[in-house]
Amino acid sequence: MLCEQCKKREATVKYVEVANGVKTEHNLCGVCASQLDIGPFSAVFEGEISLASLLSGLLGIQDTEKKDGRFAEVLCPTCGMTYESFIDTSRFGCADCYSVFGPLLGENIRHLHGSERHMGKRPGHVIREEAAKAQTREQETDDEYLPNLTKEEQIRLLQARIKDAVRREDYEEAAVLRDEIRGLKEENV
Amino acid sequence: MMKWYEVPESAETNVIYSKVRLVRNWSEYPFPGKMTKEQSLEMTARILSSMQGLNELDQNNYSFSYLHQMTDLEKAVLMERKVLNQGILKKKDAGGLVLSEDESTGVTINGDDHIRIQVLEKGLSLADCFQRANQIDDHIGEHVDYAYDEKYGYLTAFPTNMGTGLRASVIVHLPMLSRRKNFNSLVADMGRFGMTIRGVYGEGSENYGSLYRVSNQKTLGQTEKDIIDLVSKAATELSLQERRLRREALKHHAVACADEAYKSYGVLKYARRLSKKEAMEYLSQLMSGISSGILDVTDPCSIHELILGAQTANLLSHADRPLNKEEVDEARADYLRAHLPEIR
Ligand SMILES: [Zn+2]
Ligand SMILES: [Zn+2]
Repeated sequence: MLCEQCKKREATVKYVEVANGVKTEHNLCGVCASQLDIGPFSAVFEGEISLASLLSGLLGIQDTEKKDGRFAEVLCPTCGMTYESFIDTSRFGCADCYSVFGPLLGENIRHLHGSERHMGKRPGHVIREEAAKAQTREQETDDEYLPNLTKEEQIRLLQARIKDAVRREDYEEAAVLRDEIRGLKEENV
Repeated sequence: MMKWYEVPESAETNVIYSKVRLVRNWSEYPFPGKMTKEQSLEMTARILSSMQGLNELDQNNYSFSYLHQMTDLEKAVLMERKVLNQGILKKKDAGGLVLSEDESTGVTINGDDHIRIQVLEKGLSLADCFQRANQIDDHIGEHVDYAYDEKYGYLTAFPTNMGTGLRASVIVHLPMLSRRKNFNSLVADMGRFGMTIRGVYGEGSENYGSLYRVSNQKTLGQTEKDIIDLVSKAATELSLQERRLRREALKHHAVACADEAYKSYGVLKYARRLSKKEAMEYLSQLMSGISSGILDVTDPCSIHELILGAQTANLLSHADRPLNKEEVDEARADYLRAHLPEIR
């Protein structure tokens, strides 16, 4: 089979992407595969190199749509990123870009990742906020209220508190927290 | 202290090393592409100082440096040794690097994202790499509020990293499998399962040395553990398939296999000029020869260390003057002669 890009050399790199049951197949020669940024293909490989045309190319955003398109006016108020330059560079300018451009990209994100929702780890500050929220709620309602945390997250929270207690040289507190972790770990084992 | 890549290859697997990297951003600043020079410098300094406590966290001894104060050659050497990624080489803005003494653990500050945590380990040990990267992530997360969204997870500059920000990779030596006609369909199969496979030192038939990187393609919608398990399984499977082919070859073409291994050893031992391509090919044969037991080395050794040492920037960094291409090839042959393991 000939390379779909140059149509000259033999295609040696075959890449199949499946997201949401839709299968897209690409057959390229080594030269074209290494020179072209074909979306997730190159994205994954070098990890973080610039992926011009990532979204516009593989993910099916047409050039016409991009230039005179419906979203031309969209702009991130925080960092000034325009929709056009976002598509050109495939790069968000700041965290707020996600709420500005994210909703316009739902389909593309699903296509890229096969999902639209994070399932993994949550950062420390979110865990601390969840715990604080539960505590406030408990004080207000006088009911037992469990924080929205996984067991792993509860352990992480306790470990951070132990560190803090040790820093304050409050070893009694640290020992109590350590027991709490042990209790959690023993649950349903 | 021993560097991570000096650990000898295991005879049990064709997985040469494992790598885990996490990218994070600080919610207080725009992403690197949109930061001013002043913000870059300020953020880099703040993260570096928040990481001073790292030396108490684990046994590694960490050094702290500014990337913008390094020469291009110093950065190229670190890239060859997998500490830095390509994206950071061209950057002129302020940047930082926290690196453990054994070079297995590195945190790059202000590359494509604010924070890039990376852990490397010899052999197949993604779970351990992740556990170590995760610990550093927790540590930084106590000082820095990460850019995070309930739906999109960790917010990254490139949409290809959003969610977990996790890329788990294994580098596998596949000299036989990659020569097979059905290798391309195997690559396609990997894609179907959400993984990509790519030559480490080049594309297609030009991937001299036959080292391949297998990584997860998707970062959103799967847990970190799922990703680690997926890539680990693929690595194990690839290694098994390669070894099955090798056993067959040893059984039916024993002399040809031995000839290949000894010839490669001979060239590496006596050559006076070696191009990168030649070096990579002979080192790959040497690796196969040792791992299949044809070549009996007197002491366990790391061929991957020789591969890294034979790269151009490393050779240039050890020369006392600039070298032309032929002189680099000479330096490469000299280096390999000096570091080649003894065989019985
Ligand atoms: Zn082509
Ligand atoms: Zn923005």
